[in-house]
Amino acid sequence: MSVMTPVAGRQAVYRLNPVAKVVASAIIGIALVISIDWVSAGVALAIEGVLFLWSGLSPRRFFLRTLAVWIAAPLAGFTILLYGRPSGAVHFQFLFMQVTDGSIELAIATVLRVLAIALPAVVLFVTIDPTDLADGLAQVAKLPARFVLGALAGLRLVSLFLEDWRSLELARRARGVGDSGRIRRLLGQSFALLVLSIRRGSKLATAMEARGFGAPGKRTWARESRLGRGDAALIALGVLVAAAAVSASVITGHWNVIGA
Amino acid sequence: MKPVPFTVKGTIVTTTSISSTRSPLRLRAKWRVVDIVVASVVGVAIGLVYFAWDQVYVPATAPLEAALPGLQSITYGIWLVAGVLGALIVRKPGAAIFVEVLAATVEGLLGAKWGLLTLEGGFVQGLGAELVFLVFVYANWRVFVAVLAGAASGLGMAVNDLTLWYAGASQGFASAYAICAVVSGAVIAGLGSWLLVRALARTGALSRFASGRSAAAAN
Repeated sequence: MSVMTPVAGRQAVYRLNPVAKVVASAIIGIALVISIDWVSAGVALAIEGVLFLWSGLSPRRFFLRTLAVWIAAPLAGFTILLYGRPSGAVHFQFLFMQVTDGSIELAIATVLRVLAIALPAVVLFVTIDPTDLADGLAQVAKLPARFVLGALAGLRLVSLFLEDWRSLELARRARGVGDSGRIRRLLGQSFALLVLSIRRGSKLATAMEARGFGAPGKRTWARESRLGRGDAALIALGVLVAAAAVSASVITGHWNVIGA
Repeated sequence: MKPVPFTVKGTIVTTTSISSTRSPLRLRAKWRVVDIVVASVVGVAIGLVYFAWDQVYVPATAPLEAALPGLQSITYGIWLVAGVLGALIVRKPGAAIFVEVLAATVEGLLGAKWGLLTLEGGFVQGLGAELVFLVFVYANWRVFVAVLAGAASGLGMAVNDLTLWYAGASQGFASAYAICAVVSGAVIAGLGSWLLVRALARTGALSRFASGRSAAAAN
């Protein structure tokens, strides 16, 4: 499983700080969440579409990684089409479903909005390396180092979990308890894995503490993480997308704050 | 935070002070290394479960779900287990948020469809559970508190989903979605996690935690 395989590539986006990617995607997300209208979402999506050329992903990889979003966006739109806030002429009605002029407009806005919010969040995440993310969160975002590194240590146990899972499977087979009821077996085996991993975690904690983890004192870092010019540029691009989307929508009078 | 002298720190890990729930709040609130590491391990393990659940569940039922008037969230409580479970095991302030965000991070790193928004969702869901444990000053870990925490986590999820994805929904849809999310959170994440912790305690795996000790004493 690919949780801990280093993510690397030659494009500039791979060298950017993960914290900058989180911030940029958050800025776009927050700006677009406030309103539901097709103008702000459409403008953001159009600019993003151009910026994705520098996302560090080949077209094939881009569509594979974002496939779920391309499927989910029309489905969310479909939900809103049937159950959106009704207004205007009614076109179709069945049980609780009600397709109206208003819900058609909201559905179109929903499809664009889901794409515009989710695509950058997914694309920017693909090129984040887990170790870089931990370094950035602890050093740049100043989250407590003990927690970030503890989480990273947990992440490194994933490959062990998978080995444990196979051993458990074999052991249960050998004992003749693994052959009936697939769901039952799955639940029982998951519980056994959880017990095993908590035991391993307790031991790991002792080992880490013995090596001075969590001791008071100043921590130094083997891998330094800092924000550079490229990171500032990325955040500026996030602000640009957000500002363009919001101002276009406000100027054309489509700005429609959610829930209002 | 003020650094704790090493002698004081040593006394925290002795068995008497772990099993005691009467120790002062400041000492109880301090995370030991074993709390951090085991919370992390639980978060990572549940993150794998979340990802497996994404694969089994989402592709098959998504088209069907899109036509439901908000009832789809009745199964979404699965995605809320990490926060309540983590908090019930280590019993520290912030545990619900930490474990739920970590599980979401693992889910995202493995390729969950929402990318960074998976993490954001995890934070909001964890926050819901966290607030309930906070209201009980991190001193009450009984089943009704777990159920309340699961329900609050479900409420967080509903607010997040209705804001991000279903902003244009009618009030009927929004209420049905929120109610189902809260019920699902209460049952699956709340009651489910509580039962899971009890079962874990019986195996002895939680022997270094107050949760493992109080459960062992109850048996």
